[in-house]
Amino acid sequence: MTLNRRSFIGTSAAVAAAVSAPMVKAGGHGKPRVVVVGGGAGGATAARYIAKDSKGEIDVTLIEPTRTYYTCFFSNLYLGGFKEISDIGHTYGNLAAAGINVVHDWAVGVDRDAKTVSLAGGGAVPYDKLILSPGIDFVDGAVEGWDLSAQNAMPHAYKAGSQSELLKAQLKAMPQGGTFAMVAPPNPFRCPPGPYERVSMVAHFLKNNNPTAKIIVADPKPKFSKMALFQEGWSKHYDGMIDWVGPDFGGDNVSVDPGAMTVTIDGEVNKVDVCNVIPAMKAGRIAELAGVTDGNWAPVNAVDMSTKADADIHVLGDAAAQGDMPKSGFSANSQAKVCAMAVRGALTGSKVFPAKFSNTCWSLIDTNDGIKVGASYKATDEKIAKVDGFISKTGESAELRQATYEESEGWYSGITADMFG
Amino acid sequence: MPTWVAFATSVASAPSAEPAFAVSAEVLAIEGDFDYGEYLASECTTCHQASGGNDGIPSIIGWENEDFVTAMHAYKQKHRENPVMQMIAGRLADDEIAALAVYFKSLAE
Repeated sequence: MTLNRRSFIGTSAAVAAAVSAPMVKAGGHGKPRVVVVGGGAGGATAARYIAKDSKGEIDVTLIEPTRTYYTCFFSNLYLGGFKEISDIGHTYGNLAAAGINVVHDWAVGVDRDAKTVSLAGGGAVPYDKLILSPGIDFVDGAVEGWDLSAQNAMPHAYKAGSQSELLKAQLKAMPQGGTFAMVAPPNPFRCPPGPYERVSMVAHFLKNNNPTAKIIVADPKPKFSKMALFQEGWSKHYDGMIDWVGPDFGGDNVSVDPGAMTVTIDGEVNKVDVCNVIPAMKAGRIAELAGVTDGNWAPVNAVDMSTKADADIHVLGDAAAQGDMPKSGFSANSQAKVCAMAVRGALTGSKVFPAKFSNTCWSLIDTNDGIKVGASYKATDEKIAKVDGFISKTGESAELRQATYEESEGWYSGITADMFG
Repeated sequence: MPTWVAFATSVASAPSAEPAFAVSAEVLAIEGDFDYGEYLASECTTCHQASGGNDGIPSIIGWENEDFVTAMHAYKQKHRENPVMQMIAGRLADDEIAALAVYFKSLAE
């Protein structure tokens, strides 16, 4: 028997009517369809939970261009030599085996009237609910002298993978006594402790391989995440190696010249050997193309992560403007579960429980010197609001710091199993 | 690793009774709601693997109800250390802890 579109729709409608399932909410075209764009901590988790918990009642498509996804979290540990690049790479085979239609392509447009997502490779994928979890892109012109064409001379390494490998190769090739520069980003940005864990990991590598090298950090922010803890650790482990230049000393007045390999801070030209430029960030471009952004980010409703602009489009993770949660993999994973539950409830009538969110960010300063910060959150009408939190203390024992690092390794295994199955 | 070894490992990581801390018989008697436990558990499985795998963070599947509930209340009342667990347990109501106990016990069955 050959099914044309008309007979297929007719058959599906008949089946839906026969079992009187709540599929009417999907517009009468058979199983409800969820399309997820982005296969990181938000998107992979959302796709996996919707597929797992709906037990075949919802068709889930995951659109992710990379076949191997490198987590940004723990990519600093790769720079420091604590992990191999293969340790942070993950494939989508388990998600495909769990029934998710994994499409390796770029989503390049969203037609909100037709409810379709168009792909770079051609064709369009229809949805009833669309979940965008595209991570970050960089703001054009954020650092004078730098654009994406300069990312080989001056890597950002803030989307993990080849950029991480490039920065590591440049670090290894630094001349003895050379200079590593970082241009740190303004708020808000992905992984608030990330640049400072990176400085720690670079310092760890240099201490062992290039002990007379120097690190300069130009920072537009007067304060940063876990600042007292990092500064204590830098004095303890890397005394004299790291020069952090905040806005009081011109850290907010920076330009770079990728050809000459110079970084100019408040008018002073520094010749450097490696320059890690982490520009200002914005939501991944597909959020803007979908028309759900306001400024650089996509405002969402805390209760289900639906966008303020379109109730059938949800945005997770770094790309969302949601309130108090930091832009982290843990946050994206937490938001994904709330969103998955809400989307499943809307499409199949399954139970929806009150939203709860949590986050913890671990950072490594030196071997077995781990620190953490975390908080719990709830949904209010206005935003995701912080409820309670904690942070490691300065002066903690070596045993506690080692336990914290070991806990972070357990978390990495846990969250990646939670994302990729 | 054969399944039975994984199972044995996960059970072995359950805490023995904590002499200095106990919860009331009423709290232990609360019957947990499985579906609610399944949803609440998604907050836990970011760190504690649903498979029972434990490399750095303990497995919490297959614990006896009393052990699970006692451990969670010990965190909630800051009798056990670890700020992450104190924070997570701190906002769980008695029936939510009971729901989690039922759900995580089922994962080893």
